[in-house]
Amino acid sequence: MVMESRLRYLPISEVKEGMVLGVPLVLSEHGVSNFSLPAGHALTETNIRQMAVRHAEFVCVQVLDERSEAERLAEYAAAEARLKHVFRGSNLEDPAISRLYEAVLAFRRT
Amino acid sequence: MPVQLTEAEINERAINLPAFPRVVNDILETLEDDNATLGALVQFVERDPVITARIVSIANSASMGSRHGSQLRDVNMAVSRIGLARVKEIVLTVSMAEFAHKSQVASSFWEHSVAVAVSAQELARFTHVSSDYALVAGLLHDIGKLWMARFYPLEFQMVRSTVDCSERGILDVERQYFGMDHCEISGILANRWGLPAPVVSAVRHHHDPSPVLSEKLVDLTHVAEVFCNALDLTGSEGNQVPSFCEAACIAIGFDWNQDINSLFGKIQARTEHACAVFR
Repeated sequence: MVMESRLRYLPISEVKEGMVLGVPLVLSEHGVSNFSLPAGHALTETNIRQMAVRHAEFVCVQVLDERSEAERLAEYAAAEARLKHVFRGSNLEDPAISRLYEAVLAFRRT
Repeated sequence: MPVQLTEAEINERAINLPAFPRVVNDILETLEDDNATLGALVQFVERDPVITARIVSIANSASMGSRHGSQLRDVNMAVSRIGLARVKEIVLTVSMAEFAHKSQVASSFWEHSVAVAVSAQELARFTHVSSDYALVAGLLHDIGKLWMARFYPLEFQMVRSTVDCSERGILDVERQYFGMDHCEISGILANRWGLPAPVVSAVRHHHDPSPVLSEKLVDLTHVAEVFCNALDLTGSEGNQVPSFCEAACIAIGFDWNQDINSLFGKIQARTEHACAVFR
């Protein structure tokens, strides 16, 4: 079975050597790009230090989804239950609230 | 026993809050002053040794691994090494963190404020709206709750308990117990501290921006807080999405067809980072 991958946004403190960039990384200062790496690049220790020096706060990496189908469904269900709690006072029939609810749910399923 | 707050009482008791960091106003003035110099910023910061020490420490962590290899020793070096804009952000956040710490509020209060500040900045970038005051408006938007917790802890706790176990909105419950909600108190305090008019308006109207939709900072702060609560960034039991004003989304040009997952991912990761750095 081919394992699927998913994108994860991680704070810089959690980024480790060998992680693979999920989207191109471009750091800039005063609107001028001063560091960039392509999507698919495997990060090295040097890259991570270079990002820290340039004040990167987060990185988007591609990770293998190692969850079984049952684990994935259980996580989705838990995320949806929590989301319902957070939206407990909202009218989900309201189009704006409904759009936000669906957007967060979609984000939790990535 | 419900109380009936007045503006006079809020101002009178505010004297007993820790001193609001003067450096915040000084820096906000430099945002509008094209002639502001690095030297002026350093002078503002160096008036407060605690803030100075924290900035140098954070700047050192940020530049860890620099090929220069040397430790930063003062604010001058921090500014030259990590840049004026970043130092201003660090000073504002550190100053507010110190204020929250001295005010002895729960860490979840501070984490929520940081989350809304980060979210407002990311939203500003996402929608190409000016982010000049987004950080400060986010950090201060709930300052009225801090006042409530400090001077009426019992009533404040009763508000929280009621909200946690019901579907009633927080403003409604606050008005029942205080005769006023935290947005009104935030606005009175921001005004008392001489903060810029857009910031005063943003904290005053962050739950209901409809009367002032033309003020982009109000819209940004409102949408930012709604997104933070929807994303459950602090994970507190009482967290709930307040009313959501779609007109505020439209006013800042928020486009639901863009890459929302990426926006949410950035907000979540940056909030985790900021809460760790500024704890």
